[in-house]
Amino acid sequence: MDHELLRLLGPGEPEVSCDDCFAELDRYVELELAGEDADGVIPGLRAHLRGCPACAEEHESLRALVVADTPGGAA
Amino acid sequence: MTPAPSSRAAVAIDGQTAGPEQGAARPLDAESQAWLTALRGEGPERDEAVARLHELLVRAARFEVAGRRPSLPHLRGGDLAEIVEEAAGDAAVSILARLDDFRGASRFTTWAYKFALYEAAVKLRRRAWQGRELPLEPESWTVVPSTAPQPSEVAERAELMSAIRDGIEAALSRHQRQVLVSLALNGVPIDVLAERLGTTRGALYKTLHDARKKLRAHLAAEGFDLEALEMGA
Repeated sequence: MDHELLRLLGPGEPEVSCDDCFAELDRYVELELAGEDADGVIPGLRAHLRGCPACAEEHESLRALVVADTPGGAA
Repeated sequence: MTPAPSSRAAVAIDGQTAGPEQGAARPLDAESQAWLTALRGEGPERDEAVARLHELLVRAARFEVAGRRPSLPHLRGGDLAEIVEEAAGDAAVSILARLDDFRGASRFTTWAYKFALYEAAVKLRRRAWQGRELPLEPESWTVVPSTAPQPSEVAERAELMSAIRDGIEAALSRHQRQVLVSLALNGVPIDVLAERLGTTRGALYKTLHDARKKLRAHLAAEGFDLEALEMGA
């Protein structure tokens, strides 16, 4: 589904709420960066990020900041 | 105000499926434990920890502002510095009020960062739309695919958009219609609309979710193959 239709119709699969996304975001990012199965551990969060641009932006920022914080990560 | 995370199991927004227990507790790493001990302490030790926390949050808020600055050319350096300070301050208040919510599911610094990033992002979105009227009705129905379409795809797209327009008019409540059109069609940030309507991001997203669900049901009833759309067909 292209970006414009996704914005209108949403991810079309079970997703967590914005509040639960915020509650789990730090754990999700660390699981992702550790190469673990973040989507298996926290189902519905990836779908929410596809449907909610604001939460998706904050996910991207947190991931980038944690990477920048990691020795050897991007500055 | 940052979202209020619950301590129950993560549940899908429509309440149909459950995930694992949120932030399953695990032994804290030494650094995270040191943060908690110092922030729960008293006197100079706590003051020093609060000051270090503030520095950490300022750094995160600056990171967010720096990342968004290219898309906000009208905001001046003074505005951005003010947003950084306000975001760090609001994040610190939230964090200190919620220390008991931190159960070691991530490092303490990662947990703390998300509050500052959230506060900075929300303030930037709102500042960018300050004083602007919010479009609640469709400004344009020209929703084009991301890739150059073939002529047959143009016709299919027009048919789909016509059905979507009908669905928005016929299947949604007035409130659902305004929320869907503002957020999904006119690109109003959810935090901006939430502030204008006096509600929260979470409540507004639930409305958006319900509207999308009704719209999908309408399209399915009209014979559109949503699974094919999911596959990008």
